[in-house]
Amino acid sequence: MRLEARHYTFIGLAITVVAAMLVGYQPEVEPSPDTIRMYEYIESLPEGSVVLLSFDHEASSLPEIRPLAVALLRHVFSRNLRPVGVALLAEGTGVGYGLMRQVAKEYDKTYGEDFVYLGFRPQYIAAILSMGESIPATFPEDYLGRPFAEYPILSGVKTYDDIAGVISVADGSFTQHWIEYGHGRYGVRISAFVTAAMVTTYDPYLASGQLHAMVGGLRGAAEYEKLIGIGGSGARGMLAQTSSHLYVILLIIIGNVIYFRARQKGGEA
Amino acid sequence: MWILSTIALSAADPGWFDSSKLPVLICALVSIAIVLYTTYDKRSRKRFKMREIAGLKAVEEAIGRATEMARPLIFTPGWGGDIQRPTTIASMNILGHVAQVTASYDCPLVYPTHDPVIMSVAQEVVRESYLKAGYPDRMREDDISYVSSSQFGYAAAVDGMISRLKPASIFLLGTFEAESLILAETGNSVGAIQIAGTDSTIQLSFFIVACDYTLIGEELFAASGYLSKDPSILASVQSQDILKVLIVIFLIVATIFATVDIDSTWWRF
Amino acid sequence: MQRKIPQLVCGAFGLLLFALYFSNHPQARALNGSILSEYWQIIFAFALLVGVVSFMKVNLKSIERGKDRPYRIVSLLGLLLMPVLAIFWGIRGDSPFTWVFDNIQVPMQSTVFALLAFFVASASFRGFRARSVPAAILLLSALLTLLSRSDIGGLFSQFLPDAADWVRNYPSMSARRAILIGIGLGSLTTSLRVIIGIERTWLGGDRA
Repeated sequence: MRLEARHYTFIGLAITVVAAMLVGYQPEVEPSPDTIRMYEYIESLPEGSVVLLSFDHEASSLPEIRPLAVALLRHVFSRNLRPVGVALLAEGTGVGYGLMRQVAKEYDKTYGEDFVYLGFRPQYIAAILSMGESIPATFPEDYLGRPFAEYPILSGVKTYDDIAGVISVADGSFTQHWIEYGHGRYGVRISAFVTAAMVTTYDPYLASGQLHAMVGGLRGAAEYEKLIGIGGSGARGMLAQTSSHLYVILLIIIGNVIYFRARQKGGEA
Repeated sequence: MWILSTIALSAADPGWFDSSKLPVLICALVSIAIVLYTTYDKRSRKRFKMREIAGLKAVEEAIGRATEMARPLIFTPGWGGDIQRPTTIASMNILGHVAQVTASYDCPLVYPTHDPVIMSVAQEVVRESYLKAGYPDRMREDDISYVSSSQFGYAAAVDGMISRLKPASIFLLGTFEAESLILAETGNSVGAIQIAGTDSTIQLSFFIVACDYTLIGEELFAASGYLSKDPSILASVQSQDILKVLIVIFLIVATIFATVDIDSTWWRF
Repeated sequence: MQRKIPQLVCGAFGLLLFALYFSNHPQARALNGSILSEYWQIIFAFALLVGVVSFMKVNLKSIERGKDRPYRIVSLLGLLLMPVLAIFWGIRGDSPFTWVFDNIQVPMQSTVFALLAFFVASASFRGFRARSVPAAILLLSALLTLLSRSDIGGLFSQFLPDAADWVRNYPSMSARRAILIGIGLGSLTTSLRVIIGIERTWLGGDRA
């Protein structure tokens, strides 16, 4: 196979990321106003408040989603809030359950008393709207197959009116569905932890107040880890991300140099 | 009249009508009235002329290219949508037109999708188009297939198809998420002419960089009228412009109020 | 007649769900809930079955013809293996299903997702050229945003993140809002065309 220019860009990126991961240096990050807003929102919730955590992602984005979700769960458990997990994507179901159990163990939290995981419901729009009508009817059983009514943590939870808010942990457009249908139809407060690529998609919603707070990408995870005072994989991945950004900047500069040199010679790069 | 009677009814029995949604109802009814008026009013049909949309003008060129090169054409609606999304319906409208042309040129049309409902509807749309073109025997049902509901399972499957089939033209029209750039760049690497369009603003930026033609915003929804030249559909597109003008007027008035009278809140609903 | 009945059902349910949006009456909410949580889910379950049957049919035919045989065999094995593991050993804890999910599916999917980074690099290299004044402005905005997100220990001045946030919050957001309004209006007219029956491509064509 003959290597083309794009193959060289791929090889360069791979070397940059691997080298940065091997160095192990963790750069300092300053929390952004958006991240601080989310932190303050969680801090403002009274102890024992029920928050619905929606794991709206697939297995593919786990490297970016895990630091975000772990930082969020650590904060939620440390504040003695009562998270109720759901998943709108089948692949996120097991991941969400595993993450909740893993972080709950760090804080000695008991399943069913301090947190619960309701599992997956197909057809996301229908699921969001249906929970607005009745959460027990949408999830008659939890992820482990036990009846909804069996858990004391869920005793007063009937609709979105009975929870403090929804936090969507997402790698795609599912937060938008929460905003359009959960907030738009039922007025529930929506916040989000999203992958970096989705941040600009949700900016207009954040500015209009339809999305209450948002933390985005690996950098957001690193900022949140700093705010809660517990280091994690967000901070560890920052150097790799920063190096790859600088690499892309370098590529853009090289591309333009080639383009202008070719133009000077009368051709097109 | 209908609005007034609804308000009267709501006052008599507040349970049946949620009065907090009155502004939404009024906006919805005004919008519906404008759409219906432009659709059914013969005079407005005559007055209306749609501007050229480069991406849609290139549809015939893309199909012609595939036929000349004796290579297939790939049409995929993205991973993010399901059949109830207007974007998917808009994508189906374009598929119907594309299938009619591929039927007459006897150009293989491959349609991979992530949703079994979309697959069934697409099979019907393509079958009908081949029938209309007078070549029902040229339709290959297996070419319209369900590949995987998983985002990157779907992306890998479509990527594999693009790499193996080396299509001359690719249509990426529908609701796309993170798979958009993966598909568009792979399409670019095999030298396919690519026409893309989506309702996700973040993915639009990827498509603009990697594809030959991109349908931005409402262009995707106007495609049905543009391609079919159906006067009632074309006229309904006109209503979008009227509504846009109304929104702009509202924005200007609201901006003046927000600037002059900081405490005014009537425009917030 | 074959098209009239689905068209009528579509119109009736479109209007019904529109009306239900504006009601908080317990009966209306119960009807809304049962349409959303029961009908929709049942339709999806049957459609999924159709999808799986189609997937098997397409792959078996290709294996028979010898076309892309290795890929097709792997696809079919995956489709059959996972339900078998789930049925016999469950899907929780340390089950074989979870093992396959954690050790095969997650790395494979993450790999495909990671391709995005490589394609962003190649697309940036090819696409971000200062061919004109608007292209140069776009290029500068991209560089500004990338630099603002690459700050190592306060290496760059605070001006960079502030300037990048300004670009994101004003020019960029205004453009995105305008596009979103266009998309919203496009969605509205498309949905109405479907509900009132002048758009029937989704039924297999035959526009009114």
